[in-house]
Amino acid sequence: MSRPAVRVAGVLLALPALLAGCFAPAAEESAGSGQRLALALAFPPVAALSPFSDDAALITRMGVGETLVGLDEAGEPAPLLAESWSRVDDRTVTLDLRDDVQFHDGTPLDAEAVVGALTAAAAAAPAPRSIDGLGLSARAVDEDTVEVRVAEPDPLLVHRLAAPGLVVLAPSAYADPAAPDPVGAGTGPFELTELRGASGATLTADADHWAGAPELAGVDVTFPADAAARTAGLRAGELDVAVNLPIAQLPMLTDTEVLSVPLPRLVSLSLDTADGPFADPGLRAAAVAAIDPQPVVDAVYEGRADVAEGLFDDDTARGLDRPAVTLPPAADPAGTSIRLATYSDRPELPEAAAVLAEQLRQAGFTVEVVVAEYAALETDLLAGTYDAVLASRLYLGDTGDPVGYLSADLTCEGSYNLARLCDPAVDAAVAEAATLTDPEQRRAAALRIEAQVLSTGAVVPVLHERTHTGYAPTVSGLAVDPFDRLLLGTQTTVGE
Amino acid sequence: MTAGRVRPVAPARPRRTPGRLRSGLLRPALTGLGAVAGTGLLVGALPWLSGDDPARTVLRAREVEREPDPATLDALREQLDLPADPVRGTLSWLGRAVSGDLGTSWVSGQPVAEVVPPALGVSATLAGTAATVAVVLAVLFASPAVRRAADGRADGGGAAGVLAAALAALPEFVLAVLGVAVVAVGWGLLPTSGFTGPEHLVLPVLALALPAGGLLGRVLAGAVRETAGEAWVRTWRAAGVSRAAVQGAIARRALTVVVPQVLLLLVGLLGAGAVIEAVFDVPGLGRVALAGALAQDLPVVQAAVAVLVLLGLAAGGAGVLLHRALLGPAGTDGGLSPELPPPAPGAGRWAAGLLAVLLLAVLAGVLRDPAAQDLGDRLAAPSWAHPLGADALGRDVLARFGAGALPSVGLALLISAVVLVTGVAAGLLGRERAGLADVLNALPAVVVGIALAAVAGPSLAGAAVAVSLVAWIPLAVHTRTLAAEVRASGFHLAARTSGAGRWHLVRHHLLPVVLPPVGRHALLRVPQTALALAGLSFLGLGAGAESPEWGRSLADGVVYLERAPWLVAVPAAGLVLLGVAAGLVRTGR
Repeated sequence: MSRPAVRVAGVLLALPALLAGCFAPAAEESAGSGQRLALALAFPPVAALSPFSDDAALITRMGVGETLVGLDEAGEPAPLLAESWSRVDDRTVTLDLRDDVQFHDGTPLDAEAVVGALTAAAAAAPAPRSIDGLGLSARAVDEDTVEVRVAEPDPLLVHRLAAPGLVVLAPSAYADPAAPDPVGAGTGPFELTELRGASGATLTADADHWAGAPELAGVDVTFPADAAARTAGLRAGELDVAVNLPIAQLPMLTDTEVLSVPLPRLVSLSLDTADGPFADPGLRAAAVAAIDPQPVVDAVYEGRADVAEGLFDDDTARGLDRPAVTLPPAADPAGTSIRLATYSDRPELPEAAAVLAEQLRQAGFTVEVVVAEYAALETDLLAGTYDAVLASRLYLGDTGDPVGYLSADLTCEGSYNLARLCDPAVDAAVAEAATLTDPEQRRAAALRIEAQVLSTGAVVPVLHERTHTGYAPTVSGLAVDPFDRLLLGTQTTVGE
Repeated sequence: MTAGRVRPVAPARPRRTPGRLRSGLLRPALTGLGAVAGTGLLVGALPWLSGDDPARTVLRAREVEREPDPATLDALREQLDLPADPVRGTLSWLGRAVSGDLGTSWVSGQPVAEVVPPALGVSATLAGTAATVAVVLAVLFASPAVRRAADGRADGGGAAGVLAAALAALPEFVLAVLGVAVVAVGWGLLPTSGFTGPEHLVLPVLALALPAGGLLGRVLAGAVRETAGEAWVRTWRAAGVSRAAVQGAIARRALTVVVPQVLLLLVGLLGAGAVIEAVFDVPGLGRVALAGALAQDLPVVQAAVAVLVLLGLAAGGAGVLLHRALLGPAGTDGGLSPELPPPAPGAGRWAAGLLAVLLLAVLAGVLRDPAAQDLGDRLAAPSWAHPLGADALGRDVLARFGAGALPSVGLALLISAVVLVTGVAAGLLGRERAGLADVLNALPAVVVGIALAAVAGPSLAGAAVAVSLVAWIPLAVHTRTLAAEVRASGFHLAARTSGAGRWHLVRHHLLPVVLPPVGRHALLRVPQTALALAGLSFLGLGAGAESPEWGRSLADGVVYLERAPWLVAVPAAGLVLLGVAAGLVRTGR
């Protein structure tokens, strides 16, 4: 070949060679003995694992950080870093800290450290959702006792401390108080020793953990955002545990176990009550009558979801009385054109929307389905651009309490009111429920509001979702948590 | 012939030279700065174009389920320090960027300088390897044609050509998912995802390089066939030059056409690999740009786009220089003699046959109902009731194939015709230097998509415009490359010195040489255009959610690849048939 051609070939071949160093950093080989577990979580860290973001749930799921209190299966506070607590008055609670807890950097967990962590959370802009706008303050009573106070009477004060955003990290983590860094600064069974951007994290067992030494020696975490990548990694034996698997791919997991945990998560069709065809209660009633969730659960969710009787599932209702729903008489749709929107981030929603659209067509509506990614759709969803929105929502939120969801999603001033429902009777009932202190009374009130809302036809409940975690048969001791905050613990093991 | 009409030819060079010297570095620098400022402004204006409050989109990126309370949004807005308007925001960003301060990400709070460069390195590794493999594949695909050309024949290379055209029609994401299922999961030979070492390169590179290599191979084979008709080949053979030497010379001569295409591909892959990067969990620039654009994380997107645009311009300039270097001394006046090759015999019949098969399948489908759902038949295998199986909602795949043909193929053909005209016009009239085309080629599709969705609204027309905006570029560059060779040819020089007007030159000397290969190139790209139409559906651009359009069907069906392969195989086969038929169509006289 002549010189220019050689040069061209050289340039082309040298290019990748020049860049050969540009791979994502790999985990350093650990020398420790014992079993390591390969875990794939669903979402890469968005803020370098700062607890003042969705990364907070990653911190608790990996078993790196812990909160003062946990939530038990019934959604009530349970001891964690705080052994016990007592209400001083309706705005104040004192918590007694566990006295044998050390942060991974060796400093002890004392009242000062807890006060520092809570103060940083309260000062964050915006503060974690569970305490935002409450005027929360904390002070050390003595070395092991912390007093937490809010500005207004708050029946849920202790529940709020269970939110993952309020994990307590070592004082060294708060060098930047707006973005705490949990590397080497947690209290959980596993120490976060390395975070490699969005591509992975290395955890090492903390043998001095207050609940005993973990069975595992460590954990290698990756964050493949693509669900098919997690499924494939599990099937190829590269992963021991992978979370949030899509239902469409579960039948391919022949050599792995699947843990399905019902979530307090409702898939529902919200009808725009403010304008458009569904401002007419008769047409809403016609839509409610047209929709049959059973085929959606059976076909699209392949039986791995539960038909929703109301907004809340039976675990939340806990056998309490569900008042009857009375809808206005249904009108004749007579070909009324509607636009039904949903998002593709949750893979089952577009198929579910297509099935529901067909049911509405059978009832006489003319339906156009719009699907896009949530980020491209949110402004329009909340602005009432579409007549109907199929969406998935957590209704027990950060506190295990249903009233916050009702207030945000179904009141006039609610900031996530997809149905744009503005009913003074519902608003009054929600305001009253928010003042109740007894958890059982709050739930009973929530069920009464549920009936009130369903009687307007603004929301058509479709189903309650489950989360699907795949794991190798040799894995045991995974936490079953309906709040999706815990996964790895001291009891988690993986065989050869 | 008058003296006045001759003058523009001869003195052109001396007159241009001083200007060139003066602006030797100034012009590229100014072009680069202008492109960065312009695209920076486009990115900076996204919140104003889309009407989405950045505080809200950033909050959404940080906390998916959080309600957008006014108080929360206010707190965030204060923290972000949003510019008052896009112009002022972009100017201050430019000022800081020039001094080396790229700012911090609005979503993660991390310095942009720690986010974009590592992602660029990863993407460059991936794109560079893919482009290299694509070139190797292209040479392999074209080698039968080279051998025959050296023997003085312009026919043949049929099997390699068909294979290349079929590959060129395959969607990258289907190859990616197929590769994971077969090679990584089935055989356990390679890792399924991640990007920590060379073993992680193989599957993503194959997914990217097979379609690209197929396309380049066809373009290369076409160039070889054209070269085979040039007089010097006959002369060399008559003079007894060795067969290997003739082959090497033909290959090198044909590669001149492909090199600028490879550089376009390389840059295009850098910022647009988001889909493949997601399938393999590769932390590349495509995903950074995509997530940043959706969250309106302006500092990150502006930095990513600036880097991509500068690289695009550099690659565009390099393409021009490489093309000149490869032509060598022949690139001066009168050194080349491009001629029209005779059309390959028999190909037309094959093309007609394949199109007939395609048409029959479509006709069989059109008679059936594409919208009828039967959930009992979810993912049903092919049977008498559903000859090509049923999809996830029990809809008939054959019916959807038929109904989807027009919106996918029809629109893709229309777009191809439009971009062929645009590309040829731009390539003939534009000057031989990096410019707008290279900037557009480097822009991540999501940025263009969001801007278009904001201006045109989410529609099929929006998707068509978005696709057209980039689809003309390879054709324009191809035209520019060929035109440069024609302008260096003896007959062109002769016509110019005989006083032929500019339009006469274009009509009688440039178009007849340029149009057949570029037209064939445009046809080859029809399947990828059909796929691209569905590529922006995550923004709501494109055909409706329930449309049977082929690209959409493929994207919806790929999750069921192993459970119901027919969901992917049927539309993919449609695209391959179309691609092969288009590759065989005669574009000669």
